[in-house]
Amino acid sequence: MTGEDKARLTQAAVEVVLQASREGRLTTEDDVFQALVAEGLFHPAEGGGDSDGARRTPTEEEAAAALAGILAGHPWLASFEGLSGQRVYHSPDLLSLTYARILDRKGSPLLLMAEEIRANSRDYPRPVPVELFEAPPFDLTPAEIEHTLGIMAADPQYQDISFTPTSTGAVYLFSTLHLERGYAQFLAQRAESLAMNP
Amino acid sequence: MAASPGGFAGKVLRVDLSTGKISTQDTIERYGDFLGGTGLGYQVLWEEVPSGTGPFDAANKLVFATGALAGTGVPCNGRTAVTTIFPTCWPKPLVASGHMGGQFAAKLKYAGYDALIIEGRAEKPVWLFIRDAQVQLRDAAHLWGAGIRRTSLEISQEMGASCVVAAIGQAGEKLAPMAIVANSLSHSAGGVGGVMGSKNLKAVGVQGGGAVRIAGDKGEWEKLIKFHLSILGGNNQHVVPSFPTPQSEYYNPGSRWVGEPGRRWGAAQPPIEITGNIYDLNRIAYRTNSAAFFLGDGAWQHTVRGNGCTACPIRCHTILKVPAVAAKYGIREIAQNTCVGLMFGRGFFKKLPGGMKGQAALEACMVGMHLADDLGLWCNYGQLQRDLQKLFYDGLLKAKLGSAEYASIPWDKYVAGDPAFLFDILPRIGQRRGELGQVLSQGTSGLFSQWSIPEETWTQGHDTLYWKMGHPKHHANEDDGQCGVIINTQYNRDAQCHSHTNFVRNGLPLNVQKRLAAEIWGSPDSVDGVGDYTPMNPHKARRARWSLVRKELHDSLGLCNWMGPWVASPLKSRGYSGDDSLESRFYSLATGRKIDREGLDRIGERIFTLHRALTIRDMGQLDMRLQHDRVPDWVFEDPSGASPFSKGTIRMDRADMAKAMDMFYKVMGWDTTTGAPTQETYSRLGLTEVGQSLKARKLLPGDAA
Ligand code: SF4
Repeated sequence: MTGEDKARLTQAAVEVVLQASREGRLTTEDDVFQALVAEGLFHPAEGGGDSDGARRTPTEEEAAAALAGILAGHPWLASFEGLSGQRVYHSPDLLSLTYARILDRKGSPLLLMAEEIRANSRDYPRPVPVELFEAPPFDLTPAEIEHTLGIMAADPQYQDISFTPTSTGAVYLFSTLHLERGYAQFLAQRAESLAMNP
Repeated sequence: MAASPGGFAGKVLRVDLSTGKISTQDTIERYGDFLGGTGLGYQVLWEEVPSGTGPFDAANKLVFATGALAGTGVPCNGRTAVTTIFPTCWPKPLVASGHMGGQFAAKLKYAGYDALIIEGRAEKPVWLFIRDAQVQLRDAAHLWGAGIRRTSLEISQEMGASCVVAAIGQAGEKLAPMAIVANSLSHSAGGVGGVMGSKNLKAVGVQGGGAVRIAGDKGEWEKLIKFHLSILGGNNQHVVPSFPTPQSEYYNPGSRWVGEPGRRWGAAQPPIEITGNIYDLNRIAYRTNSAAFFLGDGAWQHTVRGNGCTACPIRCHTILKVPAVAAKYGIREIAQNTCVGLMFGRGFFKKLPGGMKGQAALEACMVGMHLADDLGLWCNYGQLQRDLQKLFYDGLLKAKLGSAEYASIPWDKYVAGDPAFLFDILPRIGQRRGELGQVLSQGTSGLFSQWSIPEETWTQGHDTLYWKMGHPKHHANEDDGQCGVIINTQYNRDAQCHSHTNFVRNGLPLNVQKRLAAEIWGSPDSVDGVGDYTPMNPHKARRARWSLVRKELHDSLGLCNWMGPWVASPLKSRGYSGDDSLESRFYSLATGRKIDREGLDRIGERIFTLHRALTIRDMGQLDMRLQHDRVPDWVFEDPSGASPFSKGTIRMDRADMAKAMDMFYKVMGWDTTTGAPTQETYSRLGLTEVGQSLKARKLLPGDAA
């Protein structure tokens, strides 16, 4: 593959990820490859002369071999290992890591809720109202949320996930790995009071 | 008189109601050292209102002052400071100001004036007609007794649709200390309506055919405005939305940025669905919905749109349409307001059927806005409502009020959370009817002076949120530890400062806030996690100083301190930082008077220090530390007994707060024993004569009587 070919491949591959990020989708290496195939970017390796008989690069094989390196090394892109075990790519400028992680975990309400609760408790720090998970981009139903919390309560891996009620009747979720119960209670009560404290 | 090169309109209008004399002064020549707004107001009071003047004395003056950036295209401008001897300040009325947004400031500037100084007292009710250079006092006999809405309508019909009317209602006419002046329906300045009433001035109608010139390069000006727009968040400069977005790493369910694609202004005709990219600069006005924030998601279906001040894309005054209240209570189905004005009615009730975000709460808000914004009644930042709750539920009211009057009030409705209760209580207070109306219309001070309730009953009660001098806390230790407490000690009314709280509530994670804090105030330790307070340090004192100075700057430039300063932003590409020099860059370009951030901050400090000097002079008291900068007892207690600096308490430590005040006085250049500025500080800020005048009264540190 010539330098020019590599540049062309890089540009096309990156654009696939950028476009997916713009549309709020994550991309795997395979997704990128298939998109480039569909675009007709490659030339068959065997007997691959085009109508003028010349063999052009990159071939599908060459592109497949180079793609992972191209995506991993590009400054506009970021990646992480997704729930499927595959590496997923996104453009952080268009699709933040926080949002990308939420999209990736949408297939597993258990991880979706637990990791979001943990991240909030760790980073801000704060507990989150249970209704957070009903709204986009989480989009869980109340029944799914209840079911998921029930599973967490019984699973040793999620014993850090806890809840605190407020005097207004709201329920806030937090992780004991990152927030003490008393402080979580205080923060939940405060969060509820904000609409009364302009 | 030379025309102003830009920013300033150029003239200050003076109207003597006693003599009918109308005159003008050159703004820059006469008031340029104090910018405008509160700065100009303090200067007028310092120079012209003698110590000991009462709020309703003819000698008191009422200064409506805008600033150099009002009426321009700068986002979040349009504020007018109304400065006077403040009637709700207890036990002795002192200088303070109310602040109104809307379109009044811009119109006053387009008419050619940066400020309007009202003096004396008219013999009979008048209203002030301002159409550019044409200024007249007109008879207001036909308006006296009318509410703010009818007054505004009648004057608008007389002047034409392009006018703006700032009017008082019955509360102001009856000299209620708890009265507002309001323009553009819902934009009010609290506490000053009675002063206007005492002068027999019902309203000011303004029409202006001019414009505000910009001295600097137009391209640069436009570029700076675009930049400012790009660093705006939602209301209160909450820079992250309440929901995760692809554009940001952060979100905060408690953010006032509640608008997102898919939400609808359900009562608009036709309803408007929010679409597109909420980060787009043309989508800023969709981010804020005060009603949805304060009343919950149900408010979206009643939302017509946002309303707001000149050139402000935030539009925090949400217009609500609730046909049910027209049918049920016979009132207008449309109302608009923000924050405490929006919640005026709801705040009276301890409990409401369906909770504080249910249908009854919505109806209480609608009834409250309908009545209070027409009567021209102020709530003293929610203290009126809390006072009534405490009086009633602690049995104080029954003990103090005559039994016949007590029995005449529908307390059953109050306890049941029936919004119809407001039709009894609000006119009672606004029109000062009966003993209860008389007392509550004075503000919390009425309870102390008329009913001899000891102030300690309020300073010790955690539910009152009362601070001092007749006024409540305004973003104190519950938001910002020592910094919030210091700020709340400084004014003669509630502090009205948002510089600090807009930062700590901005929604960014604590480590990002600390990184920004290190850049702005020199140390990450200038900011704590809420309720996880650490002992006082000098960086916090610097941040308190910065917060107060910027508040005064905003109030003097015509900018909204409910939004600024803009030191954080939604921009990931900037690491979520904003711009600490925005105000000085705008001021330099607008006026052609080039000044850097430090230079403008020095003027802000001058203005704040003049407020301090006025307070010292009029209190006749040097020992501000003990006599003025008081902190209520509840700040030093925790209902569950938690110790200060333990996680999950807002309880402060007395010794630490004493140290905090020491550090604050030190960074201000004030004497730490008395909390009074030194002559050196007055001189450093160009206030040498102010210091000398205080020295002559033995009110300078080291010169105690
Ligand atoms: S944020 Fe609200 S009060 Fe402030 S300028 Fe904008 S509309 Fe006016």
